[in-house]
Amino acid sequence: MTSPNPTASTLASPVGAALNPPTGVATAAPADRRRRVFGLGAGLLVTLLVLGGTVLLSLAVGNKHVPLTDVWASLTGSGAGYADAVVNSRIPRTMLGVLAGGSLAVAGAVMQGLTRNPLADPGLFGVNAGAAAALVTAAAFFGLGSAATSVWVALPGAFVAVVIVYLVGAGGGRATPVRLVLAGVVVTAVIGAYIQAVTLSLPAVFDTYRFWVVGSLAGRDPGVILEVLPFVVAGLLLALGLGPSLNALALGDDTARALGAHVARTRLFGAFATTLLCAAATAAVGPIGFVGLAVPHIMRAVVGSDQRWLLVYCLLGGPILLLLADVLGRIIMSPAELMVGIVTAFIGAPILLLAVRRLKSTA
Amino acid sequence: MSIVTLRAGSWLSVPVRPRSVAVAVSMLFGLLVTAVLSLTLGRLGLAPSEVIPALAGAATGRDAIVFDTLRGPRLAVGIAAGAAFGVAGTLFQTVTRNPLGSPDIIGLSAGASAGAAAFGLLWTGILPLPLGALVGAGVAMALVFLGTGRGFSSPSRMLLVGIGVSAMALAFVQFVIARVGREQATVLAAYLNGSLASRSWDHATTIWISLAVLLPCALALSRRLQLTEMGDEQADTLGAQSAAARILAVLVGMGLATAAVSVVGPVAFIALTAPQIARRLSRSPGPNTVLSALTGAALLALADLLVQQLPGDVQLPVGVLTACLGGIYLGYLLISHWKKGTLA
Amino acid sequence: MTLTRTRAARVGDTASLSTPGTPRQPATPPAPPTTRLAAHHLRLGYGRETVVADLSLDIPDAGFTVIVGPNACGKSTLLKSLARTQAPQAGTVLLDGAPIGRMRSRAVSRQLAMLPQSPTAPDAITVRDLVGRGRFPHQTFLRQWSRDDETAVHAALSATNITALADRDMSELSGGQRQRAWIAMVLAQQTELVLLDEPTTFLDIAHQHDVLELCSRLHADGRTLVAVLHDLNQAARYATHLVVMKAGAIVAQGDPSTVLTAELVQEVFGLACVIIDDPETGTPLVVPKATPGSRPARSGFPPSA
Repeated sequence: MTSPNPTASTLASPVGAALNPPTGVATAAPADRRRRVFGLGAGLLVTLLVLGGTVLLSLAVGNKHVPLTDVWASLTGSGAGYADAVVNSRIPRTMLGVLAGGSLAVAGAVMQGLTRNPLADPGLFGVNAGAAAALVTAAAFFGLGSAATSVWVALPGAFVAVVIVYLVGAGGGRATPVRLVLAGVVVTAVIGAYIQAVTLSLPAVFDTYRFWVVGSLAGRDPGVILEVLPFVVAGLLLALGLGPSLNALALGDDTARALGAHVARTRLFGAFATTLLCAAATAAVGPIGFVGLAVPHIMRAVVGSDQRWLLVYCLLGGPILLLLADVLGRIIMSPAELMVGIVTAFIGAPILLLAVRRLKSTA
Repeated sequence: MSIVTLRAGSWLSVPVRPRSVAVAVSMLFGLLVTAVLSLTLGRLGLAPSEVIPALAGAATGRDAIVFDTLRGPRLAVGIAAGAAFGVAGTLFQTVTRNPLGSPDIIGLSAGASAGAAAFGLLWTGILPLPLGALVGAGVAMALVFLGTGRGFSSPSRMLLVGIGVSAMALAFVQFVIARVGREQATVLAAYLNGSLASRSWDHATTIWISLAVLLPCALALSRRLQLTEMGDEQADTLGAQSAAARILAVLVGMGLATAAVSVVGPVAFIALTAPQIARRLSRSPGPNTVLSALTGAALLALADLLVQQLPGDVQLPVGVLTACLGGIYLGYLLISHWKKGTLA
Repeated sequence: MTLTRTRAARVGDTASLSTPGTPRQPATPPAPPTTRLAAHHLRLGYGRETVVADLSLDIPDAGFTVIVGPNACGKSTLLKSLARTQAPQAGTVLLDGAPIGRMRSRAVSRQLAMLPQSPTAPDAITVRDLVGRGRFPHQTFLRQWSRDDETAVHAALSATNITALADRDMSELSGGQRQRAWIAMVLAQQTELVLLDEPTTFLDIAHQHDVLELCSRLHADGRTLVAVLHDLNQAARYATHLVVMKAGAIVAQGDPSTVLTAELVQEVFGLACVIIDDPETGTPLVVPKATPGSRPARSGFPPSA
């Protein structure tokens, strides 16, 4: 987990501040700026604590409730008996939740910064569809169905889909945000038709697919965590490094160029980072919507429009939302479980509605 | 001069574009050919000479069974549902002033699917499936109306909220699919793609009556909607009452789309592409209601013909094909727009 | 007609500067207004925000009324409420003595036309089709295109000098031609009252002149014009009745040559100026005063500010 303090000091660097007109920090007095950085740093600490609490909750709550003291005992290695086993069984899904939640939220923030569209979702570039199509193809034609291989299938699938989206989007010249989003819609639709055609022809594939397509943290192979970890780490590093460029990009391509940002390069790296993060998350837990959309929105209400802070907050906020949704899914239909992908859709969609209502008059 | 006016006395005068008429006639001809082909092709097809007797109700033996239970209702449902999708699409696209603003994207189809899934599998026996779909669509549209905070007066908000409502409804559908048994799930999944297989004359009656009632409403509204394309202020000063016109258009579009969804499922992209194709062929602005209806009917009938005649044993739902072809067409549309530089 | 002329003159004579903070309202007539279009104690705003608090105004018949004022003074809002596209929070707009909000919208549209500030042309529409849309209030479902419609469109096209462009696509036209097409659409509506919201915005100076000359010709033909304009000098040149607004209230109104004074411009716009006679028309011409020291004596621009 990223410690808040070094981040805070880098963020206060003069270069960063100079590139930060949207929040008005650059024009604020130094004292104001210091107070703001301090406030945001403290907020980050609080968010970290909340995340810790959510992790404990995720370990404790479920079909069999475990008291928090027993959870703590298990974590410190002094747990015993049935409670210990229950807690241990919940560790993989909790870790998956942290990993996937953080990846999706950061990917969403980058995506929204890149497209300058506060309503962009990582799924828009065809990432989920590509991963799903690859999994379905592998299961249908090569008999690959096990969880251990899924990452190696889903990742290339997601990448291929994004490349196609880019090619279609850049078909007439420049790949502007609107074009990319529209191209994403098109590619997703065609891939979706392919998936339907395959799954409806092969009942066995359909049977696994219908469970995979609703994102869930339960029943995934723990080995997946280690497989996707390198991709997640690489994607996160790349994304966090893009913060300043994204700030410049928020002012429009021309202004960004005038400020010395490399617009095309930022787009390329941003899309690469998003794809890495989304593909890894999707491969690990299946497609989960709305985390990438909702978390950056909630966090923007807290930190304002500074992308550097936003990315870090999203890294912590994503897991909180995803784990809470997972915990909720375990409670509301107990003893059965509601898949987390459904819970996030039902939490995320109202947040989207609120976000839309708060938009100032849109043309 | 590209407009001819049909007049009868002083009480009737309707402007007609020769180009639109030509397009409509060719579309009608195409529809006819498709219809005949889908009745005659294949192992079970009628002999060409038997088509007219069958339509007159004079077919006998095997032909009667094929026409009455297999091909006939399927074709009748396909044509009417396609027309309904086409008109619903053009209404929504005009209201949202956006070529992407079709029932597929605005959340209506997804809402209807969720309603159908809920009342068809989860809470069976409360409502018949078509009414369930209508309830779902109504709930979805109500959410969109309330969600924007300004009713239907902000097109871009409508689209965005629609996407959210869509996602919520689809999550619900996936939940239902994951909860029920495999057999039921497969049936539901096929329905949710949109399928014309094994339709009955009851389905045909439902959709044709809806079309007969709602198409005139759409026609009556289309001139007022045309004015809203110039912005609400301008439309209002011309006396078009844009806010009311929009709500009416959404209601009519909802009725048409739901009727179609309840008989064939949410067939993708007909509502999105038919108005676009109609507009490009006729080169005339505004909601081309009649032409969109014809185009929608021709598209769905043609897609179903292709699905029926596909080699292999598997009967794919027609929605899979329309999604694929519609997606490719949309991609072509976007790229050609971009090359000309007329879109974003 | 003569009655309203004298009335307009009277308002002009009494035009005066009010003290800041308490803008004086023109006296509202106790009897029903004598002009066709009048606003009666309007309160206008968006949501909880009030832009215009209490405003009354008679639009002189057959006049060319121009409303001017600084940004966000409520002039466009006032125009919208006169055209019925924005409902007032309080007060009424009267058209021929009847409250406009309670009239049938097509009935209003046959009397009164408005061109909004930035109307959007539908995709791929020809000029003729666009102008034809102005005929909507005169049409019915069965009578969608009568011979009257035909003649009205023809007349509107020739009045705005764009008959030659009739079959061109709107997107092919220049800014000035496009604005003419929009005005033609409003003319095709065949109303006596025409409201224009900043018809010259985004046009270069030649086209601005062009559009205003066109307006002035329409006025000469007997129409009642109301326009919101940005440019004081243009307003002074073309208006027969100038309405000056500030912070949601009318500060002065009347004949431009009486109303437009250096003190008024200073008070309303905060601009120090001298008023001279326009060498072409003799109407008032606002010339901003030079700030001492702001301009170097030499003509070149300094390399670094």
